Amino acid sequence: MDRDLLRQTLSHHGQSLFTHLKCEQSENPDFKAIEPDLSKASYQRKYGGEDNALVEQFIARKADILFAPSWKSSALLEDVLEEEGEEPYAIMPPLEQFMEVSFEERRNLLYRDIERGDIVIGRINSIRDFGFFVTLICMGGGLERDIEDLELTALCPLRDVPSNGNHDDPLSYYQLNDLIRAGVKDIDRYHEKITISLQPSSLGPNLMNLKLGVFSRDDLPLQYSRSVRVANDNTETYERVLEGSLGYSNPSNVEYLLGKIGVSDTQPPSLMRGLQSKHFLEEDFATTIRKKQSASWALKCVRVGVDHFKSGRHVEAMNEYNKALEIDTNNVEALVARGALYANKGSLLKAITDFELALESCPTHRNAKKYLCQTLVERGGQLEEEEKLVTAEGLYRKALALDDSFQGAKEALKKIELLIQKSLKLREEAAAKEAEKAKNVETSAEKLRKILKEEKRYIHTNPSERMKRKQRRSSSSSSSSSSSSDRSSSGRRKSKKKKRKHRRSSRGKKHQQVSSRDNRSVADDEEEWYPAPPNTSASFLDQKSSVVRPFEGPERTEEGSQPPSKGRSHSYHSLSSVSDAPDNSRFEDDPFDASPQRAEGSKGKGVRGDKTSDGDVKDREGSRGQRKRQGQEDQSGPQDVPSSLEKVKHRRMSSSSAGSEHSRKSDQYTNDLPSQSHISTYRRSDSGKYGSTERGDKKEQERGTRRSDGGDYRSSTDATRNGKGSSAGGSQKKELPTNLLDLFSQIAQFEKEKCVKPKK
Amino acid sequence: MARFITPGSMGAVSRLDGAPGGKRGAPALDTDTDSTREIKTHFRVCRFIMETGVKLGMRSVPVATACVLYHRFFQCVSVTVYEPYLVAMSCIYLAGKVEEQHLRTRDIINVCHRYFHSSSEPLNCDGEFWDLRDSVVQCELLVLRQLNFHVSFQHPHKYLLHYLLSVKSLVNRHAWSRTPVAETTWALLRDCYHGTMCVRHAPQHIAIATLYLALLSYGVEVPVGEREWWQVLCEDITKEHIDAIISDLLHLYDMEAKCT
Repeated sequence: MDRDLLRQTLSHHGQSLFTHLKCEQSENPDFKAIEPDLSKASYQRKYGGEDNALVEQFIARKADILFAPSWKSSALLEDVLEEEGEEPYAIMPPLEQFMEVSFEERRNLLYRDIERGDIVIGRINSIRDFGFFVTLICMGGGLERDIEDLELTALCPLRDVPSNGNHDDPLSYYQLNDLIRAGVKDIDRYHEKITISLQPSSLGPNLMNLKLGVFSRDDLPLQYSRSVRVANDNTETYERVLEGSLGYSNPSNVEYLLGKIGVSDTQPPSLMRGLQSKHFLEEDFATTIRKKQSASWALKCVRVGVDHFKSGRHVEAMNEYNKALEIDTNNVEALVARGALYANKGSLLKAITDFELALESCPTHRNAKKYLCQTLVERGGQLEEEEKLVTAEGLYRKALALDDSFQGAKEALKKIELLIQKSLKLREEAAAKEAEKAKNVETSAEKLRKILKEEKRYIHTNPSERMKRKQRRSSSSSSSSSSSSDRSSSGRRKSKKKKRKHRRSSRGKKHQQVSSRDNRSVADDEEEWYPAPPNTSASFLDQKSSVVRPFEGPERTEEGSQPPSKGRSHSYHSLSSVSDAPDNSRFEDDPFDASPQRAEGSKGKGVRGDKTSDGDVKDREGSRGQRKRQGQEDQSGPQDVPSSLEKVKHRRMSSSSAGSEHSRKSDQYTNDLPSQSHISTYRRSDSGKYGSTERGDKKEQERGTRRSDGGDYRSSTDATRNGKGSSAGGSQKKELPTNLLDLFSQIAQFEKEKCVKPKK
Repeated sequence: MARFITPGSMGAVSRLDGAPGGKRGAPALDTDTDSTREIKTHFRVCRFIMETGVKLGMRSVPVATACVLYHRFFQCVSVTVYEPYLVAMSCIYLAGKVEEQHLRTRDIINVCHRYFHSSSEPLNCDGEFWDLRDSVVQCELLVLRQLNFHVSFQHPHKYLLHYLLSVKSLVNRHAWSRTPVAETTWALLRDCYHGTMCVRHAPQHIAIATLYLALLSYGVEVPVGEREWWQVLCEDITKEHIDAIISDLLHLYDMEAKCT
């Protein structure tokens, strides 16, 4: 019991109350504890008031509630000032004014109650060099009193006047009769002196955001303006002011004020014994009962639904389950039953969602776990068939995590692990094979390179953008003045790798470093088994494999072990698409008929599946167009690379013809073999398009005829693209042998052409 | 009027009540006059309304409206004809609508059913439930008709809160924060709806009286001017008035001991 409060009451009511208290609260231990303290003083009734025995008896009886420490609802509430202009409740003038409290009384009370941090509003009545004096006209916050006629004067010392920036003397900003809003800084109650300040720090935290300083008449607080009206008009009573104000009519003013005062309406106080909050049990409340009821109603529907299900009436069963879930969302039984029905029907994903939702609310539901395990395994099986082995594996693991003893999941997991290992091994083997074959090819590539080197010396062009790009990517110098061979030799390898990485990693970006495992592994691969300088035609192998990678996606687990040839097949796909357009453009730009391009042309061009098999320009043009078309089509195929391919295309297009020639040349070198691989890629990837297999054959034929055309370009672009992608996974295993055969045939053709070219 | 309540609905509510005298407290003594008995019944039913209000999360004003509806209804009719608890349920439902705190009949029925059969399972969605629901809805119409559709009232709550703020400004802020005047006066105001005093006095008067009693209970000193604070807040009130209201209110507290 609050001792001080009791004392206060007792001193108001007198001894009789104490007697009552002792009588009524005799069994109250709390009272007994403080009774000795209280009895020390003798109490005189104040105000010679009535002897209100009833009230005293009431107070005594309810003392255990009234004076309980928990009765006071909340701690000191911060006084929040309402926004200007808003009136959530009726803001009334100070009651003192209506009560006509005497001047002296008001003055005394003000000095007793005003505190640091209150806000006052007044007019400047004199400005001195040490500050200015303000006559207070009303309170602005923290205290609501009628002070205008009290003629209080407060001092605002110089140091509490904030400087105004450009003014030397802060006081010069202020003039006589300015309205000022200031915070009370200090009160000398004895001497009745008030010091005010314009610094924001003088305000309390709740009033912090009010602006101090010069003030306009319009911003005077509402209660003051009302107070002025009341002072001027005798007929204005409190009631009239109240009922005339807007806030009075606000329907939610009760709620608002309750919040402001700090009394709770959801756990309302009462002095009736039976209505004390401790008597209310949570389970009697409406929300609790409703939840229980919904759950039981939903359960009924679920039972009916299960009956339907067992009798085979699936549609009715689903209806019942949905009904149950409408009554009680997230009802565990309904979710499990519906999940089972979905699983039965085959909508495994929906079933999984339902089971997981059920397990969220009730993690120990046996049936939910069991069914979820089974459904996950089944779904895993489905994914396995779709070759999404990793996802399937994840699902099996998840199922096992749920239920260790589920045999089906264990077996499935073992199986799939074996499968994955097998596929890994196969890919490794294939990669090894490719590596070997590639080595063989290298020798021919070496020869090619030499020839091309010679031819390149004739062409001395500015470095094209592409070259620059290549060089940028590669560690080699950016200047393309060096022969393409230089480029190829020095930077080719790096450039290719970088290109590969570049293409692989950044679909549309030029300079991203590859971060994927693929790139790294492919690069590693190339380093390993590709000892030849990058300029060799064999370099395409690396490129191809790298290009291919983008297509693989996350499924590939054997990237590291994949020989570039595998990648090739993928890269063909992308490369072909990419290289098409650029090749074509360059083709037009650069009418090569130099023999060096022959070889590349033969290799690269054919890839695009030109249908014309003539070796003359017409064919070239025709093939160009086709290539373009194809390029575009191809681009639509691979999704990973198109953006990058497009970019490359654009870049190529923009490169100067001269430059492009040069780059093309170098690309050609690199693209030589890639183009061959293109063919195979074509076969694989563009099966639907131009009959890629046929194309491949045609390409080979055309290769010989088309020398100086954009096949080089293409091949170069292909090469670059190849460089980007890394070879695909095991899916390309089948392509490898075909690619190799193509390569060999291409080489053979190339050599033939070499002989043929001089004739032309 | 009685024709409008179907036998089924009244029967449903009697079932709701369970055995007579169960929740209605001790059986009436022979010395009780009819009117005393009635007053006790009304007290109990109003207690029922207040409790249900808390369990439904109703605000103070809708609960007050429900009580006033109830009291006004039974000023006109006899308690022997109409089942008071059913009327109370309908008044709660209607008050929720009037004061814009809409309640679902399902919740009202659930809480009331549990009030009478404590620790029971919630009702199933069956005939009994629908009967009860029908009863409540029909009785609501009955109450509306009986009151000539005058169902919105001025309550003391609004006045009390404004008065509270005004008086608060008169008193030293620290003294005020120590004294739980706001809680006490709110509690007193809510409690006065157990009896008919809430319809016999003007809302401003009730507000002033409760505030007066709360200040008196804690011995709070309010400055004196030419006029008393309560005189200023409401021009037409007198001290006798305040005393009368206070004595009515105190009487209700005494009745609690007798009725429950």
